[in-house]
Amino acid sequence: MPGGRFLSILRTLAECRVEFIVVGGVAALLKGAPINTLDLDVVHSTSPENVARLLTALKELDAYYRFQPELRLRPDDSHLCSLGHQLLLTRFGPLDLLGAIGKGHIYSDLLRHTAEIEVGENLRCPVLDLETQIAIKEEVGGEKDLRVLPLLRQALAESRRAK
Amino acid sequence: MSPGYVDEIDVSLIRWMLSLTPAERLETLENFLDDLAEITDRNARRQISLDSSYTR
Repeated sequence: MPGGRFLSILRTLAECRVEFIVVGGVAALLKGAPINTLDLDVVHSTSPENVARLLTALKELDAYYRFQPELRLRPDDSHLCSLGHQLLLTRFGPLDLLGAIGKGHIYSDLLRHTAEIEVGENLRCPVLDLETQIAIKEEVGGEKDLRVLPLLRQALAESRRAK
Repeated sequence: MSPGYVDEIDVSLIRWMLSLTPAERLETLENFLDDLAEITDRNARRQISLDSSYTR
């Protein structure tokens, strides 16, 4: 089952009125950083109301955990209320649902560091800004994060120069 | 950390890619790039229209 249709995932989340922020590689790409990625990372609000809406969206997306795809394990509300990472496969491709990123940054902390981007007809999504992506990667300081930092910093410098 | 990660690497994503045929992997990449291009074009068009409305 090929995927890569991340716009369809975003549309489903938006249609189910899920509160989320696009982060990770897709956010970096949308902000102009030439990052390689094939999955969609979003931080979702873990409020009970939002988790209920998210469960409806995940049902529509036929989402299940991808680490043991043969078992078709599906996340429930206890998983989605947690700050953990749910690495899922949907009918449109991979989707990572993150309760928190970096050292515990949750949806409500991150929302003020986003800008809405028009991603489709009548579809706008909050996307995490490059400054915050860099700050979080610096804070975590993992090998993978450090590798991508020069690219993000350069993309930020270029985008500031272009303004 | 999720059981999908090993040494910061998302192994579940690699396994999923390996489960696809080479043609499906290319299709996945192509779909991803198509979606990305659609958003980029949409926002470029929007920027042009905003810029032209300022000059009016």
